[in-house]
Amino acid sequence: MSAGAILDLSLDPRQRDRTVDVLVVGSGCAGATAARALARAGREVLVLEEGGDFTGEKLTQRDGRMYDQLYMDRSGRMTSDLSMSVLHGRVLGGSAVINASDVVPVSDEVLRFWQKKHGLTDYGPETLEPYRQRALADLRATRISDDQVNRANRLLMEGAASVGAKGEVMLNNRVGCRGLGTCLIGCPIGAKQNPRWVAIPEAVEAGATFLCRARAVRIDDATAELKRVSVRVLDPDGYHEVDGFTVRARLVILAANAIGSTHLALRSGLGNAQVGRHLSLQPQLGVVARFNEEVIPYRGIPQAFAVTEGERFDDERGLWGYRVEAIMGTPGIISALLPRVGPDVMTAMAAYNRIAASLVLVPDEPSGTVGLTKAGRVRIDYQHKDNHKERLREGAKLAARCYLAAGAYEVEIPTNRPVFVKSERDLALIDAIPFEPCSAPLMSAHQQGGLRMAPSEADGACAPNGLLYGTRDVYCFDSALYPSSSSSHTQAPILATAQFLSERLLAKS
Amino acid sequence: MDAFAFLRRRTFLKLGIAGVAGLGAAGGGLLALRGSASAVSGLGVLDAHRFRTLLAVAEAQLPVDGASAAAVCDRLARLFDGFLQGEPEENVADLKTALLLVEYGPVIFERRLTTFSHLAADERRRHWRGWMESDLAVRRQVSLAFRKFFHAVFFDDPAVWPQIGYPGPSLWGTPEEAATP
Repeated sequence: MSAGAILDLSLDPRQRDRTVDVLVVGSGCAGATAARALARAGREVLVLEEGGDFTGEKLTQRDGRMYDQLYMDRSGRMTSDLSMSVLHGRVLGGSAVINASDVVPVSDEVLRFWQKKHGLTDYGPETLEPYRQRALADLRATRISDDQVNRANRLLMEGAASVGAKGEVMLNNRVGCRGLGTCLIGCPIGAKQNPRWVAIPEAVEAGATFLCRARAVRIDDATAELKRVSVRVLDPDGYHEVDGFTVRARLVILAANAIGSTHLALRSGLGNAQVGRHLSLQPQLGVVARFNEEVIPYRGIPQAFAVTEGERFDDERGLWGYRVEAIMGTPGIISALLPRVGPDVMTAMAAYNRIAASLVLVPDEPSGTVGLTKAGRVRIDYQHKDNHKERLREGAKLAARCYLAAGAYEVEIPTNRPVFVKSERDLALIDAIPFEPCSAPLMSAHQQGGLRMAPSEADGACAPNGLLYGTRDVYCFDSALYPSSSSSHTQAPILATAQFLSERLLAKS
Repeated sequence: MDAFAFLRRRTFLKLGIAGVAGLGAAGGGLLALRGSASAVSGLGVLDAHRFRTLLAVAEAQLPVDGASAAAVCDRLARLFDGFLQGEPEENVADLKTALLLVEYGPVIFERRLTTFSHLAADERRRHWRGWMESDLAVRRQVSLAFRKFFHAVFFDDPAVWPQIGYPGPSLWGTPEEAATP
């Protein structure tokens, strides 16, 4: 078996049409895992990745260039009412390159819920357990050690303990972390054990080829033995399409994120009426606390501690409640989060060394849809339900209570008219936040659904084995399949289910 | 950092139609309120009028005053124009519409006979704050879009970091080293 390669097509845009056995669209947790499994089984595998390959010094730890290059739509993807920023990666290795390195496997409860509520009988905890373990091994998952918990995270931890709220230091997938603190714009020392450093090299060694700056725009002949996939080559910055070619493949695997995979299916006119439905965005709300002490929040692991007191499981809706997780960003991101104008911007940012920030994360009902604009671009519609808003308020109140207990002199909910909490008495102000469109810094980092799997075509876009209904050998292996929130963090669940689906596919063939 | 894919065509078309219809109903004379704009060399996407509005937005949004303010805002506005060159046409069109509406914001939202670029600095900042705090989603959207872009670029400048006590990325050295091309 000869080794494959990682190629940047922007350096050689004039590509010839080709025919392969397996074409994978997307190189993140799902795509890289599938590519590795299939290549190791002797299949000829080609992977398309829209983004570039960013490692080492190319990861500059600077806001402007990195948010532009590592995130889909230059980090500007939004819901159609502009209420929520929808963040996911566009880089070799996918969103795992720019996540906070949290490892939260899909739980037994969620899997049983999928079995019972959604008829996914094959997804039992016992069946999935080897794949969950495999994911943890791929991630080199370990609990973040006490000496790696920085002051910002420790303040949340101490505050949670003071108010009697349950929490935990999280599992992570870092090895050799030096606390650079810029995980959300990539790790230049390669400490994250993500697909770029695990599954992709192993897939290449097994013969898979990864093409960067290669955008799949349409799949035709989806019921034929050879599917025809139109690919556009992007320029070196990934802004413009400069050339194109066609790949014919016997097997196509969609693994371009819940939004991306669904978008490609829609653009291609594939599947049934369920395509694009049941999208979950898992909204997150930023909260900022100010202290009199030096916190230096931007050094060390940004997200090490989570307050899990509000997290629970709902028999009807699955993963539910909320959690509060510490987070931190570079100056541009933090300042953009704060609703200020003119000199007030610098007044707020003067406390940059003395802040601690959190995200309130709300597992949601899959109340969104993915559609197309007239120009064929992604359109994300999302119904922000009252129960989401209510849980965001509850989470924000708990975050504020924790920070006040830890000594914060002020906690800010940075809505367009910011809410300042300086004592327990002010917590009632949070109850009045309406969460009108574009009035709060909401973001989504864990998109799921859009190509929901279900045993019946009437209930889902894909079969439980990932096959897109109405096609021949066009599969989806990523979080687009999930019928409800798999976890508060999707990296580990996607690795597990992608390996599971890959092995089932190989067993079938 | 993208602030513009943020501006979705559907929303801004609606806003643009409403705004332009309002201006039309008020008479073509209102269009003359914005006056002429000096030619600006080196722009890739924006015309002189919209660039002037963009400069005024930067001056209102950013924490800059004094002698260096004009140069800083000019640099950032040019970065914005450069950024647009990498954006899809529909986003560029939305952004142009947004700038037009900002320019006529005092007319449309405050019934004043002057435009954004012609407001005095303090007045402009007060008016611009009104976009952020507005009850109208579209005004909040425009405010947030520009804030995201300008803040991301402004605070990415090593010359700004000492003002907030940020020593810069830990791997690539001091702010001075980071500023070295």
